Amino acid sequence: MVRQADELVEEPPPDVDDADADAAGKPSVASRGLTLAGVSLLRIVGALAIPLLGFTALWSTFDFLRDADANRFLVIGVAVVVGVGGVFALFWGMNLVTDLLPERLRDGIRPYVFVGPALVILSVFLIYPLINTVFLSLKDRTGDEWVGLDNYHFIFTNDSMLRSMRNTALWIVLVPLLAVTIGLVFASLADRLRRGEAVAKSMIFLPMAISFAGAAVTFRLIYSFRPEGFGSNVGLLNGIKSGLGMQPTPWMQQQPWNNFLLIVIMVWMQTGFAMVVLSAAIKAIPDEIIEAARIDGASELQVFRRIIVPTIGPTIVVVTTYMVINALKVFDIVFVMSENAENSQTEVIAERMISTYFQGRNAGRAAAIAVVLFVAVVPIMLWNIRRFRAEEAIR
Amino acid sequence: MTRQRKRRWRAFLALGVALTLVAAACGGDDDDDDTSGGGTKGGGDRKEDTGTVNVLNAMEPDEGDAVQAVMDDNIDADYDVEIEASSEFEEQLPIRAEGETLDIALVPQPGGVIDQAEAGTIVSLEDLGFDIAELEDLFGEYYVGLTEHEGKHWGLPTNINLKSMIWYPKDDFDKAGYEVPETFDDLLALSDQIVKDGGTPWCVGFESGGASGWPATDWMEDIMLRTAGTETYDKWVAHEIPFDDPAVVTAAEDFGKVMFGKDYVLGGAKQTPSVAFGDAPGPMFKDPPGCWLHRQASFINAFFPEDAEAGKDYDWFPFPTIEEGQDNILFGGEFAVVGTAGNRDEVVDFLNQFMAEKVQCAMGKEAASSRISPNVNVKGDCYANDILADSSEILTTALKEGTGRFDASDMLPGDVNSAFWTEMLGYMQDGASSAKSHLSAIEKTWP
Repeated sequence: MVRQADELVEEPPPDVDDADADAAGKPSVASRGLTLAGVSLLRIVGALAIPLLGFTALWSTFDFLRDADANRFLVIGVAVVVGVGGVFALFWGMNLVTDLLPERLRDGIRPYVFVGPALVILSVFLIYPLINTVFLSLKDRTGDEWVGLDNYHFIFTNDSMLRSMRNTALWIVLVPLLAVTIGLVFASLADRLRRGEAVAKSMIFLPMAISFAGAAVTFRLIYSFRPEGFGSNVGLLNGIKSGLGMQPTPWMQQQPWNNFLLIVIMVWMQTGFAMVVLSAAIKAIPDEIIEAARIDGASELQVFRRIIVPTIGPTIVVVTTYMVINALKVFDIVFVMSENAENSQTEVIAERMISTYFQGRNAGRAAAIAVVLFVAVVPIMLWNIRRFRAEEAIR
Repeated sequence: MTRQRKRRWRAFLALGVALTLVAAACGGDDDDDDTSGGGTKGGGDRKEDTGTVNVLNAMEPDEGDAVQAVMDDNIDADYDVEIEASSEFEEQLPIRAEGETLDIALVPQPGGVIDQAEAGTIVSLEDLGFDIAELEDLFGEYYVGLTEHEGKHWGLPTNINLKSMIWYPKDDFDKAGYEVPETFDDLLALSDQIVKDGGTPWCVGFESGGASGWPATDWMEDIMLRTAGTETYDKWVAHEIPFDDPAVVTAAEDFGKVMFGKDYVLGGAKQTPSVAFGDAPGPMFKDPPGCWLHRQASFINAFFPEDAEAGKDYDWFPFPTIEEGQDNILFGGEFAVVGTAGNRDEVVDFLNQFMAEKVQCAMGKEAASSRISPNVNVKGDCYANDILADSSEILTTALKEGTGRFDASDMLPGDVNSAFWTEMLGYMQDGASSAKSHLSAIEKTWP
């Protein structure tokens, strides 16, 4: 995602500079200024009006469809055709409109026209909610009265909130560390398998296909606990313990170990992803380098540490960043697994945000938590983008 | 960054901000339209009848079908009645109310009714032409008064259920020679007797996913009502006394007498946060019973084994007296609210028929819906079985005498209520001496 956005901004090279250069060729300074103003104006009008026009057309079609009394499937069918076709037609039409412009302006405007719709969607669904959330975080539970920084004061003084930050820190350290380490080991070992590499990798990759909530439900059954008298223990772990003649353990009540039991779930899910990406990176290392190292007498461990790991370093960093951001956002696992996260002290920031809003019905505080979470993600994103830029520069 | 790139970035930024402003302006306009529209239409002016009255509700599909059948047979009118049971009621209610497409909704919390009244999306009972004094005769002053907001009433009671119930395995109970306790001391004495006979008196489970802890708050409310009385209960809910007031601490300690009594609770109080509330009564149906007593609201018999027979395998008694003269009753229920689109003669006519004896009695007879009427004129012989009939008797008496109180959890602010859940679980784990500190922790969450 980050990569694509970056490319969109970076790629279109011959726009501003070319237009400037064309204009610079003209003799009169005044007319040059005028043309420049005209160009900018046309660009903005083009980028704004055309997509807005298209949106209006699509909007009114859907508005009509929604109120239509026709067969439901017919309406769905028409909506899909109009929706997909409409977007296609929108871009095609805009391209056509751009072609009609004077040749001098065409290249300058085209990128804006194509980026325009994305910008509109980004603004409406990302930038506007972001700004609104910041405002909301300064208001009370219903969003009516301004309360200043009260909500932030609450976040940084409340026991449960502080605990959620401690736990989240635990998640963002342990999940990437364990998932990447285990993934790397699997990737390099699987690389040496003569047969069955695909099967082995698929097995480890499989949990990736399950949703977080689904995985949490699976593990709920593994950690499930029933006190004596309430029937036999259906939980895998407690089943094993009972089978060995031991007392069952209420796993989700074991503080602070219950946090680690939850982290295991995410590691189980993410290791496959790390393995697949790292394995691809390992396969991309030229054989000559490794061969050369071996001829020079390097042991297998040395090859791994001195050659493989440094070569795939950038990939490791990307995978780690992805995991850190994922761990920051984790919510479903804790929400599904914990009977009451505050009681079992397994809170994480995103989980606090959801329960503050939906159970506590406190919009202001929930918004403030969202802002804190956002601020926590930003440095990681920025660092990732900068690192990516630096890499591009090397290439 | 080069100069050109900086400029390009600035252009993008400007474009983004401009678009955000446009979007914000459009959004703002819409909001204004909605509220002003709701305000003008919400008043006294009636709309044209449409021939269909829609009732949005949160019933299970089976219950919804049963109620629909009762409506088809008993509502005497030239319009159709549509009972729309929605599994996404909580989300649908504000959407429909704000979108002005809501006729009638059956809302389970007084707080939910007040929220809609504040948003101006529903029509008050006064504006619909109901006589409040008449309603108070039908449902009791307390129940009608629960949805009072800014001098008007907004919700019409349409259903009620009893919470102060203790279930027991009838046949084994009788065989063992135990007697239904009259007082709280009797209840504790009975528990001791059961322990002495080698049994475990109580089955308790407080696990309920993200809402874990709510059954414990029901216990607290029940005991509050029977120790401190209705007046203190009302003050407690309205935060006129602190959450850790001595009256509340006493209630928590009485609760502790049951939970922390030696060998009283199956698995021990510490484990109750891990026992699902629906699984909790299970051991009661073993032979011999794994436990003998279970406190839960009337809905719990849906979780009993399918072959369990009422009056033989199980029965119930009301929560016993703790303080003399404070036999108050804890109940839950539901209110009908009318959206701005429902301000029509046919809707009012429907509600009048819906709350009257004939239809309410017919709903009681329908075993699949097992609804109890809040209408005090609906008699015990209207019900499909004795459990419903007895509950109805207790509830209507309480409504008439003003000794019934609504579940506090549905009236406390959201974050206070979730702290109530959490701290009660903590109380179970930390033991009898921690009552006061857990209550103080709840007190701190009051806004």
